[in-house]
Amino acid sequence: MARKWGQKIKQLMVNTMDLPQDVMMDLPRITIIGQLHIYIENHRGLLAFADNEVRLMLKKGQLLIKGESFVIKTILPEEIMLEGKIDKVFFLDG
Amino acid sequence: MKNQWTNFYTGFVKVKASGIGAERLINGLLRKNISIWDVKRSGEDTVLFCIELKDISTLRAVVRNSDCKVSFIEGRGIPFFTKRALKYSGFLIGLLSFFIIIFMLSNMVWGIEIKGANPETEHAIRKELDKIGVEVGKVQFLIDDVETIQRKLSDNIKAVTWIGVELKGTTFHFQVVEKEQPEEAEKLSPRNLVARKKAVIVGMFVEKGQKQVEISDYVNKGQLLVSGVIGNENNQRVVGAKGKVLGETWYKSTVEVPLKTKFSVFNGDEKVKHYINISGFSLPVWGFKKPEYKQYEVESTTKPFKFWKWELPAAYMSETYRSKEQITRVYTKGQAMAEAKKMAIKDLEKQLPEGAKIIGEKILHAGVDNGKVKLSIHYQVIEDIAVGIPIIQGD
Repeated sequence: MARKWGQKIKQLMVNTMDLPQDVMMDLPRITIIGQLHIYIENHRGLLAFADNEVRLMLKKGQLLIKGESFVIKTILPEEIMLEGKIDKVFFLDG
Repeated sequence: MKNQWTNFYTGFVKVKASGIGAERLINGLLRKNISIWDVKRSGEDTVLFCIELKDISTLRAVVRNSDCKVSFIEGRGIPFFTKRALKYSGFLIGLLSFFIIIFMLSNMVWGIEIKGANPETEHAIRKELDKIGVEVGKVQFLIDDVETIQRKLSDNIKAVTWIGVELKGTTFHFQVVEKEQPEEAEKLSPRNLVARKKAVIVGMFVEKGQKQVEISDYVNKGQLLVSGVIGNENNQRVVGAKGKVLGETWYKSTVEVPLKTKFSVFNGDEKVKHYINISGFSLPVWGFKKPEYKQYEVESTTKPFKFWKWELPAAYMSETYRSKEQITRVYTKGQAMAEAKKMAIKDLEKQLPEGAKIIGEKILHAGVDNGKVKLSIHYQVIEDIAVGIPIIQGD
C-alpha cells in the first residue's frame, strides 16, 4: 500500500512539475533506429539471449524483443545496445 | 556510452562461455561494472563476447560462482600484438637486416676493371685509385664522382692520353688510351727539307742530304734547305734528308691589358650541406644553417641510393657553398706594361715549336687608350725551320 502511495506521489509530481518520467519513475527509455538498432536504458539485467529473441528484466515486468541475428553491441549495468533485425517489441507485465 | 576505440590499445579478449547460465554470467559481470561488447550466440548454449584485458581476473571470480565453462578464444590489441611481435622478432630482425645488408652491399664498390692499359700503366692507375680512395669495399657516396675521378686520373698519370670512367652497378670500368710511345726512328722516305717560313739561317746540322744554303743566308718560305738528292751527276742517289736548320725568325704580337679589372675569386671559405633527396623533396641531414656569405656559388652533387640493381627514388645530395669575393685589380701603367709583356711571351710560346728560343724583343709601340695599355712587340726567335717534303720520283 505504501509503495503504491509513493508511486502515486511521484506520478503527481511528474504531472504537476513537468519532470521527465523515465528519470522519476525508473521506466525504461527505448530508442529504436529503424530496424537496425535498439537502445534500452534503465534495464535490470539480461534474462535470455538468443539469435532471434532477447528478454530483458525491467523494474516492472519484462521486455521481449523479437527479430533476427541479434548481437549485443554493448552492455552496461543499465544500458544495452542491440543490433540485428528488429521485428517486434513486447512489454510483458510481471 | 564508453568509447570503444581505446580497447584496441589496452587489449581485449574474446571469451567463449558455454553452459545454460550464460545470461546469468553476463548479469553477474554487469553487476561488477565490467563492460562487455559484441555478445553473440554461437550455438544452443554457447555465447561469445569480448571483454577488456584488465577485467580477466574479475571474470574468473564471477565464473567460479556460475555454472558456466569459460575459455578464451583469442587476444587482440596492442599488448597481444607486441607479444606476438616479440615472439617472431627473430624473423623481423632477419628480414630487416637482409634488406639493410642488400642495401649496403648495393652501394659499395665491388670491382675495378681496367681495360686497354699495359700492366705497368694499370699498376700506376690502381695506385692512383688507392690514393683517391677508390677501392673495393668502399661506399660509393664517400668517394668522388665519376667526372672527378676521371679528371684526377688524367691529371696525375702521364702515360695516359685519355681515360674513360664509368660506374656500372657496383663496378668501375676504366677505359684507357695510352700515349703512343715515341716511334723508333723509321727509315725515312726520300725527301727534301724546305723552309717553313722566312728566316735568316744561323746554324745548320745536317745528318743526311746535301745542304743548299749557308749560314746567314736569307731564305723564303718553301725554299729548299737540304736536298735529298746526293752524289755527283753520274752517280745520283735519293735519300731522306735529315737535319736541323736553325733560323732566326720574327714575330710581332699585339696585346692589350686593361688598367682596371674586376673579377670574382673564391676566398677559400666553404660549407657543405648534406641532404637526403626523396623524389624531389630534400631532407637536410647535416648542415642546417644557411651560410652567411655575401656572394657564393653552389655546387651540388647527387648520388642515388641503389638497391640490388635498381635505383631508389631516394638519393644522397651534398651542396657545397663557396664564398666569393669581388676584387678590383688596378695596375699602374708600368705594371700593366710588364703584365702585357708577360702575356705576349706566353702567347708567343704557344705558337712556337719545341726547342725554340726567344733571343730579343723590341717594343714597337706602347700607349694608353681607353683605360687600356696597348703594346706591340717585335720578337726575334731562333727555331728549327726545316720541314720535310717528299721527293716525288717520276719518269
